[in-house]
Amino acid sequence: MAEAALAYLWDTAPVLALRLDEQDRVIAANPHAQRVLGPAVVGRALAELAVSFTRAPGAPNDGVHWLSLNTASGLPESFQFRRFALTEGGLALGSLDFLEQERLRTEVLGLNRELSDLTRQLHLANAELRELNQLKNQFLGMAAHDLRKPVGVIMTYSEFVLDEAGPALSAEHRKFLQTCLAAAVGMKRLIDDFLDLSVIESGKLRLELTPATAADILGGATDIARLVAAKKKVTLIEAPADASRRLRVDASKLQQVVLNLVGNAVEHSQPGQRVWLSSLWDDQNLVFAVRDEGPGLTAEAQGRLFQPFASGGPRKTGGERSVGLGLLITRKIVEAHGGRIWVESIPGQGATFRFALPVQAGAR
Amino acid sequence: MSPNTTSGTATNEAYARYLEALLAGDRQRCRREFEAWLAAGTDLRTLYQDFIQRSLYEVGELWERGRVSVATEHLATAITESLLSLVYPRLFNQPHVGRTAVVTCTANEYHQIGGKMVADLFELNGWRGYFLGASTPACDLLHLIEEKRPDVVALSVTVYFGMEGLLRTAAEIRSQFPTVPILVGGQAFRWGGRERAEQIGGVQYLPSLTELESWMQSHSPHAT
Repeated sequence: MAEAALAYLWDTAPVLALRLDEQDRVIAANPHAQRVLGPAVVGRALAELAVSFTRAPGAPNDGVHWLSLNTASGLPESFQFRRFALTEGGLALGSLDFLEQERLRTEVLGLNRELSDLTRQLHLANAELRELNQLKNQFLGMAAHDLRKPVGVIMTYSEFVLDEAGPALSAEHRKFLQTCLAAAVGMKRLIDDFLDLSVIESGKLRLELTPATAADILGGATDIARLVAAKKKVTLIEAPADASRRLRVDASKLQQVVLNLVGNAVEHSQPGQRVWLSSLWDDQNLVFAVRDEGPGLTAEAQGRLFQPFASGGPRKTGGERSVGLGLLITRKIVEAHGGRIWVESIPGQGATFRFALPVQAGAR
Repeated sequence: MSPNTTSGTATNEAYARYLEALLAGDRQRCRREFEAWLAAGTDLRTLYQDFIQRSLYEVGELWERGRVSVATEHLATAITESLLSLVYPRLFNQPHVGRTAVVTCTANEYHQIGGKMVADLFELNGWRGYFLGASTPACDLLHLIEEKRPDVVALSVTVYFGMEGLLRTAAEIRSQFPTVPILVGGQAFRWGGRERAEQIGGVQYLPSLTELESWMQSHSPHAT
């Protein structure tokens, strides 16, 4: 009976059984030990099998010790070893702590479940956010669209009354009407920004690409830009634009970009200051630049400049109002062309806005 | 649920390869097979029923018959659960019908993947399917129901010892939310429990994912 039990222990039981000589060298290993530690275990010193052998597995019969061994899978495993003295050498029996293994398994499975649940929650939350964002864009587009018409009516009739009845009105009443008109113009600009943004955000920005030169792009913008500058008594200096190389772009959208940048530059300039508008081809890009002599921007303000509702830059010199969508729209239009936009500025020394359109976008 | 017989030998061979990898605990091989099905544009319903559910049932049966260990079964479940995350980008992009379901496994129910598949099936049918994992305390479930005001609550139970927990949870939901329909289901009902569950008012037992889908369709806004 004892022999059968010993045979079971050696041949079948999930126990590492190692026969050791006087020098702690393995002279025989049971099949389980050879499966777990690899077949080359016989002939090696016990110390060689251990991961970091700081202590021998104990003198004969002095209790149970943890021993971490390198297993055949490449991962170290900690076994509880007990040694028994034999007539010659000794026998070391090692086994895993089942409860510890069970705890490890439970924890790993639990972590996997939690990770999987969190991944699902994340995807669901993203789907909800996408839906909400879409709703917001729809709302924005509808609200802006419906507001545009009445604002247009206010502008038209204010202008009409100022033109027709202006001479008959007192200076104070004319001022009231001019304030109404200016407020309506500001509101219309805001509504246009909202509409642009709702189109861009909903992914419906469609570019009508046609071959155009730098001169074509600037040509459509400079007339208005000059008017904007002249109104503020700011001098607009235009460098001659190249009219030979063509790029496939949406010229009308890029004119909006140029006007926005020039408009900003003028709004941040004092009367008598200058704004420069130029364009330049380099190897890979057509680069436009708008430079001003305004108060410039801190690094912090530059960082948030192209974000939604970015305000916090320097105050506009004429008290012009802005909700901070213009540069965001500008950025989106430039990016839709595969280009990029950036600003260079030192506070107190003006700012230069540049945007680059890559040749790969379809130069002709 | 019967395997998809229409798509033929190739599908069955792919399934056999997947099952072999699953039983061997070979996560990478399972993932490769799974990604190949996704890349081939396999319908998600087919994927859920003919591959995921079928393989899990098969592993469960092998476990019950003593052919594989519980560790193999747990590892197969863990691998399957991790593979589901590959489906989510497609799953959560379904058009919505404006209905919401809260799905959970009852407390102490560690076989949660069935419940998660139910939540996913709601998503697949255009419902928003919130899932609360195994061992979610009842108070958290009640809190989510309060917050989301779902059109239905579904409780899943896989092993029979979770049945008492399910009945307690259903009764608690009913006392706090008298009108919300409660659906119950899962493998544990093979051993009974249906009558006790349906004694709680407004509780309905659904024996399969197919019947669950019919229920969803008849309760969707466009249903006639």
